[in-house]
Amino acid sequence: MAEYFGAAVADIFNTMERRFIPEGTKGVDTVIGYNVSGEGGGYWRVTIKDGTIKVEKLDAAPTGCTVVLNAKAETFVGVTLGKMDAGEALSSGNLKVDGDITVLITVLPKAFNKFTPIVKARTIVESMKERFRLDKAEGVTMKLGYDLAGEGGGKWTIAVKDKTCTLKEGLDSDCSVVLKMTAQTFVDLNTGKLDGATAFTSGQVKIDGDIGAAGNSAKLFAKFDTGEEKAKGEELISLKCLPTINQRYATGPVMGKWFAGLKEKKFYATRCPSCGRVQTPPREICADCRVRSEEFVEVGPNATVTIVDLVYYASPDPLTGKIRETPYAAVFMVMDGAGKDQSVSHFLNPKDFSRIKPGLKVRPVWAKERTGNYEDLLCFEIDD
Amino acid sequence: MSTHKKNRHVGIVGIGQTEYSSHKEHQNQAEMVNEAVRNALADAKITLDDIDCVVHGNMELFEMVHQPDMWHSLGSGAHGKDQFRITTGGTTGSSLVCTADSLVASGMYDVVMAIGLEKLQEGHTTGGITNMADPLWFRHLQTGALTATTATLMIEEFGEERAKKAAMKYRILMDKHACLNPRAHRRFGLEYDQMDDLMNTSPRLVGELRLIHMCSQSDGACAVIFASEEKAKKLCKNPVWVRDHITVHREETFNNFGIERPETTHHYAARKLFERNGIKNPVEYFDVFEMYDPSAWWGLDWLRDFLLLKNDEHLKMLERGDFDLDGKIPINPSGGVIASNPIGATALLRPAEAALQIRGDAGPQQIKKEVRHALASGFGGTLWTVLIMLEKYLDW
Repeated sequence: MAEYFGAAVADIFNTMERRFIPEGTKGVDTVIGYNVSGEGGGYWRVTIKDGTIKVEKLDAAPTGCTVVLNAKAETFVGVTLGKMDAGEALSSGNLKVDGDITVLITVLPKAFNKFTPIVKARTIVESMKERFRLDKAEGVTMKLGYDLAGEGGGKWTIAVKDKTCTLKEGLDSDCSVVLKMTAQTFVDLNTGKLDGATAFTSGQVKIDGDIGAAGNSAKLFAKFDTGEEKAKGEELISLKCLPTINQRYATGPVMGKWFAGLKEKKFYATRCPSCGRVQTPPREICADCRVRSEEFVEVGPNATVTIVDLVYYASPDPLTGKIRETPYAAVFMVMDGAGKDQSVSHFLNPKDFSRIKPGLKVRPVWAKERTGNYEDLLCFEIDD
Repeated sequence: MSTHKKNRHVGIVGIGQTEYSSHKEHQNQAEMVNEAVRNALADAKITLDDIDCVVHGNMELFEMVHQPDMWHSLGSGAHGKDQFRITTGGTTGSSLVCTADSLVASGMYDVVMAIGLEKLQEGHTTGGITNMADPLWFRHLQTGALTATTATLMIEEFGEERAKKAAMKYRILMDKHACLNPRAHRRFGLEYDQMDDLMNTSPRLVGELRLIHMCSQSDGACAVIFASEEKAKKLCKNPVWVRDHITVHREETFNNFGIERPETTHHYAARKLFERNGIKNPVEYFDVFEMYDPSAWWGLDWLRDFLLLKNDEHLKMLERGDFDLDGKIPINPSGGVIASNPIGATALLRPAEAALQIRGDAGPQQIKKEVRHALASGFGGTLWTVLIMLEKYLDW
């Protein structure tokens, strides 16, 4: 199985159910498809529904998904392990997303514990040559055999002679000592999860041959590096905090008139006494003429659309801090009776997404309860 | 508008940068500042003792540190010196240049160090920018700096095919430049034959503004040292001279999308700045333009404003290769803002990179022919413009 950064694509999917956090997905109902190309890739479908998860390996490209991720195997593993930057992979096109991208930002981080690559017996054995300690090898000649049973197991012979260390597959017949155990026990011993003496006394490790050689062999090799020690040693700690600040802004009398108007389903603008410009929302002065604008005129309620922004990016709503649902549309429009250089903006009724274009007339959709706030206006919609 | 009158000339004598990246967990903010400061001092071959005043700039909304200049003095060396803090949004970096230039030109200080920085990884960029919008109206709608209005208008004006191709060609050109710059953050290695694929498959952010078009969110710092003419000539063989700069604000935040559109702040800034400096044809005059281009759509559209071009001249120039590194007026040899965007440093990087071009010290992204006249711009979240002119010789 092809590995990238020490993990196979299948490892990530095979551990998903174990890493799943049911409490993190209450009320979630989504199906995520994966199309991982290249060696070790394949098709998967992950269904997350209200605290439950189902992971399926498929024979063909996933269908019926809320969102489908397309990536090369290396990119997929790299991003999952945090070895590659997700934003960079998305920008460069190495990771492509079809469908609702917000799922990846809102659902996935809460749904899974982080994937850590599974340390394999083979990785540990193969690293022995690198971990071989020349300073301890003076005059040592020995052959050490490993007979590891179960998944991920195998047989290897490590030969130490003339301050060199060689590794080969299979057991030589003239081994000084052969250590027999399951591959999992071997991994646990080397990653510090199991103590050697305990393993031996409890019979989890069987030693066939020279027990003294088995003891001596330990000091010939530096400790296997799981990578965790290194991270601890550097103490690169990030402190986290989430400030919540309640804000309240005085509108002043002019913008106060605008918000008070919304309560009565009316739009008030100011007219410049010098140039006649009608400003929406109303402004305290006309900045062009540098004079106070004290005359209010009613404009709207209908308006002409000038520009439409259809937003797919899941951004935070400044009023609540919650991530907005996407897509949503923001429209810029000139209210009837307002200056042609003036625009106001608001949300568009989602039912009009496909029909909206510049030049169309729109009308406000009012909230039932109005308190002089942004939310007095639910949205605008096409005035048919 | 009155002409800027300087009591004395001001030269750039030292430039220091960090590399730009999405993560800098290995250093805190003060340490990151220090890296840029050390590089600038080494470049100028002076020590902190020679610095009379420090001008510090970032956007506190991003990292939510209220008096960052105090913490950062551990790295900036401002302890015991005069220090000012500038925080004008996207234009912060260019406002630092205007401030440092004014402080030296006025005679108040002989040597001033400007430091711009941001560690966007430590906060929330879109959240921060959203809070820059007018709190009384529009904030409820604001989506950070993401909007497709320019894309929509360009598609309307030039047709979908040509507009989308041009924006993507601009994007790939910027990536080609960024790939030369060892400090640039995003270096994808894009090729022109990927144009059609990227145009249609890069994830949409807003309308036709796709992820590939948009600038990165970067961590990094830049420090630039300014000195009076007398000091600059003593300290430095080839100071780069700050000729003039202009800052333009509008009365409104986002009220530019009516039926009749007002002159953009970019066009206004360029028109006024060139007029008062007697520059009739900016494309002929300038040898390089480091532009604050937060997205490929904006970058391409704004070239028309800044270079006072008409109709589709900017598209034709792009299509002809005039903005390439060996073109008529190379744009952003550094890779620009799309490649690296540590916001408080971004608009300082523009004149810093332009000055390196004039000195001939830009490294792999150095323009081959002599660079005598450089233009650098800054852009702020609420449609503000700063435009800066740099010169190789004191001969204007």
